[in-house]
Amino acid sequence: MAALGVPRWRCLWRRAAAPLGLRRPGRALLGSRGYGQDAGSEADKEKSDVTKPCFTDELVQRLLSKMTGLDLQKIFRPIKQELKPPTYKLMTEKQLAEATRKAIKEAKELLKMPPVLSEREPIDDVLAEDRILEGTETVKYVFTDITYSTPHRERFIVVREPSGVLRKATWEERDRMIQVYFPREGRKLVPPPIFKDENLMTVFREDRHEDVLNLCIAQFEPDSANYIRVHHQTYEDIDKHAKYDLLRSTRHFGGMVWYLVNRKKTDGLLINMIQRNLMDDATCLINLYHMLYPDCQSAKAAKEQEVHGIDLIKVFMKTESKKVGYIELALQAYQEALASSAAL
Amino acid sequence: MVHLAHLLMKNYHGGHVAIRMALGGCANRPFFRIVAAYNKRARDSKYLEQVGCYDPLPNSHNEKLVGLNIERIKHWIGCGAHVTKPVEKLLGLSGFFPLHPMTITNAERLRKRRALKAIAASEEETPVTCWCGFTESKARRDNYDNLV
Repeated sequence: MAALGVPRWRCLWRRAAAPLGLRRPGRALLGSRGYGQDAGSEADKEKSDVTKPCFTDELVQRLLSKMTGLDLQKIFRPIKQELKPPTYKLMTEKQLAEATRKAIKEAKELLKMPPVLSEREPIDDVLAEDRILEGTETVKYVFTDITYSTPHRERFIVVREPSGVLRKATWEERDRMIQVYFPREGRKLVPPPIFKDENLMTVFREDRHEDVLNLCIAQFEPDSANYIRVHHQTYEDIDKHAKYDLLRSTRHFGGMVWYLVNRKKTDGLLINMIQRNLMDDATCLINLYHMLYPDCQSAKAAKEQEVHGIDLIKVFMKTESKKVGYIELALQAYQEALASSAAL
Repeated sequence: MVHLAHLLMKNYHGGHVAIRMALGGCANRPFFRIVAAYNKRARDSKYLEQVGCYDPLPNSHNEKLVGLNIERIKHWIGCGAHVTKPVEKLLGLSGFFPLHPMTITNAERLRKRRALKAIAASEEETPVTCWCGFTESKARRDNYDNLV
């Protein structure tokens, strides 16, 4: 790989990757894979040269986590685990507040967003050409370096083809070999058939988008083609059927919002937010949009007139959105509800 | 840090440490572990350290998998371990060592044998006789350079 490529994605890796929470498999192996929370200053400086904000910027992450929400009941709902009888504790008010605080902290850990990366470049590197060996073998040899302390990204995995060519292994071969020698919990050697397109449709019909995304994170690397494809298909389906609530208060919400804003498909989400009376979230969404597209009409208008709240939404609606009618209706309904509740 | 490898080698007089293959697996299913062991020990008995593995049967993707703990192999070779021929050939194929001369020799021999067979298969029926009475096919005589 080009020397330029390696340090760049290594530090993207260290910054973007989250230490996985309770439900995510393979926590123990993360240390050896070179993940971890860096100060991020090095890569941030790189990004500030590029004007476009990245998924991992502080401000972007703050906006996304605000939109994700913190529904404790949903995050800590019962999951499939070892059966044990429930424990009841008698607590004072103060102890209850303390326990809630701890629960919120743990919930924040569980809500850390998985990294959003661009698709990896295919590896195409020939190390040696020994045509003299052509015809001696009918099988290829795959040599893996099983030194325990090297990070998986830097491991040497080479393939000697029957034609005598010694080349670096492709990404799929690499993933397979690393799973053979360093098996990770929750990851299978052959990806399960749930990730095929036909089967994904069935899963979406049953509203199990979150489970599919959790399985996808366990099975594939964040920059592999399959991971990106499954995630994009899930987000498309959610956008098509307006099922945004399925992912609200999970760690996938930020990724979905990022995807939609990058493709300018924010209308459905905006309507959903207004219908659920989440005005702050709506303003966050529009702010994020303006951060990513500072040259669009509504961004300039908002900066000149210094609008906030509902007015910001109105400005955005007039200039940028395609479903103007729907958003107007939703806003009207919201204002009527507000007025009637104020009257009461 | 305690450096034990040096002591392990110093106390073993007359013999040496070898990096070789230890056979395991089941009936009709061999599996080799590449192992650093005293050379007088039995092939499959106690070794100093396992340093890799080799599966001689190809898998569903038509690959033979070889795992090599390069760091430890380098360490043992640095301590003076000998490497047996099959392991040398594997390491040569992997690129860690240069290609073993016998690998190249066998490849060349195979090539010649195949060339001969090809010639024998396409032999013309007109034999050519030289002045001493030695008879052979015209194709073989024309292709002496490729055979020798």
